[in-house]
Amino acid sequence: MAVKALKAVSQGRNGVGAFILQCKRIDLHYCDWAGSSRGMNGFIKSLLPKFAAAHPQIEFTISPRPAKHPVAIGHYINGRSKPICVRNMEPYEILKKLELLRDASGEKLKKVTKPVRSINESVRGIWSPYHGNGMQL
Amino acid sequence: MMKRLRIERATGQLLVARSGAASNPGSTALRSSYRAAQVVPVRHQSSYSSFEAESQHPSPIYEEDGTDHSRFPPLEKLPPLTSTLPSPLPERALQSAKLAALHARLSLSPKIPLQTLARTLVDPSADPNPHFNNTSLAFLGSTIINYHASEWFMVHYPRLPMDVFYAAMTGLAGPAPLNRIAKSWGIESAAAPGGEVDSGLLQFSLDSPGESVLGFGYTRTIVDKINKNNWQRSVNSKIIYDDDFGQVVSRPKPKPKPKPKQQEEEQEPQVELDQEQDQDQEQDQEDGEYLYNPLPPKFSPTSYGSERTRELSEKAHANFVRAVVGATYAHCGREQAKAFVKAHVLSRYLDLERLFAFKHPTLELALLCAREEFDPPVARLLSETGRLSRTPVFVVGIYSGNDKLGEGAGATLEQARLKAAMHALKAWYLYSPGEGARVPSDVLESGEEEGLGKRMRTWEPVYVDIGELISR
Repeated sequence: MAVKALKAVSQGRNGVGAFILQCKRIDLHYCDWAGSSRGMNGFIKSLLPKFAAAHPQIEFTISPRPAKHPVAIGHYINGRSKPICVRNMEPYEILKKLELLRDASGEKLKKVTKPVRSINESVRGIWSPYHGNGMQL
Repeated sequence: MMKRLRIERATGQLLVARSGAASNPGSTALRSSYRAAQVVPVRHQSSYSSFEAESQHPSPIYEEDGTDHSRFPPLEKLPPLTSTLPSPLPERALQSAKLAALHARLSLSPKIPLQTLARTLVDPSADPNPHFNNTSLAFLGSTIINYHASEWFMVHYPRLPMDVFYAAMTGLAGPAPLNRIAKSWGIESAAAPGGEVDSGLLQFSLDSPGESVLGFGYTRTIVDKINKNNWQRSVNSKIIYDDDFGQVVSRPKPKPKPKPKQQEEEQEPQVELDQEQDQDQEQDQEDGEYLYNPLPPKFSPTSYGSERTRELSEKAHANFVRAVVGATYAHCGREQAKAFVKAHVLSRYLDLERLFAFKHPTLELALLCAREEFDPPVARLLSETGRLSRTPVFVVGIYSGNDKLGEGAGATLEQARLKAAMHALKAWYLYSPGEGARVPSDVLESGEEEGLGKRMRTWEPVYVDIGELISR
């Protein structure tokens, strides 16, 4: 007769309690020879050290990829990755792209129509037709 | 950031021959060849690297796997014979970019060294040596997590029935939620554990899980019979004997005892090899060293994705989270550990309403009203629509005297009445003094910085319920 218990697992709410940045790794590929990598090479030399120091929670890996366009690939906690081709871009444009990778959640892009999504119960409750005094016709 | 410190370029690794390597009379030709090949680096667990002037040892051209490293240089220069170790050397933690990123991602205090964080990632199934795996930290962490979770439930939901309390503990601090927490931290696991693996990867073995600790707690003497016959356990015995989630703590498998030497010589050389290795491993664990087990791993790709491997993976991930909490406690103290548990474990959302399963809610509500000396509950129809239609709705309220205890809507009168009784019972069991209620460990906090001062350190008693309805 006593109450039996069911199983449930708690749901995470990133930002409530602790915030974990979703971007965990950024791979940067460059080419020493090709002109499309000129901006990338400049970025790696001039801007990357500061950007990487400002974001210790992201692992940066740099590797050459000869005879290919430069690319920045973000890897996310949900297992997805987001590659951005940065050919012919200036260093500051690439910085913008890296900021985009940093701020992304890794989810597929989708149109957000409602401003707030929440798993909390509605404070007002749901309107019920069976309660209240009703409308006098 | 990108230029890593290459400490091992300047130094070699201390090489020590295994004690008593070729002096055992029972050794066969096969074994002696193994022994000659086994030169084991000494490991030290400390937060500073113990590289000293060892550069007189030239790095070998041929690694233990037979690769000519002068022709095929490795991506990362490892100390010699690293892959003979069961887990990466603690010194290598300083060079792992993954580990440094994880440290920063969790906003861990700089007091926690990377070596300790690397140790939390080594499961006992990967490295049985307790000086290098995370068992002790995980045990410490589990006690801290379970303490804070249970005190939070006790204070905030003082009327939770014990079974529901255990379910809530399992849902908030059990292996499944801790596994999810580890996943949400972006932990990657190594395909197979070993000394050459990056220190920032979680290492656990699917081959030899028997070595690992099964659970933390008291093992009942009749645990085998309980598991075999599916015996019922009373709530009281769960509280006294079982672990923090009301689960029976299983007995760890006894280690196979090495047989006497004379019997060993008569046996097949291969069997002898196994047992000798076990003996040596046990000896070396005491010394703080570990010997390479040259037997090929019994790994099969089909073992991936089974129920068993998922369970092992979940346990390894959960123990990692516990070990991180244990490391926080060991290096930063009680308050930091509490803040960490609060931020990462207690802040998660768990709907306690969904944990209840009633069998006879109306009867239970009647008994509850009798115990609390309320008027006996009466169900009254509040409103209805479409009684003769295909989709009728009845709204039933349960009243005790003039007080409405609960209300439910259903397609039949009986369903609506049961729902109302369940709502009434949940309203009773889920009574909460509010978010501001203080838990016992708040008294230990030093609240001077926040200006809370004396109020934080004096304990005001909290509501303690007389208990759930006794089942019959």
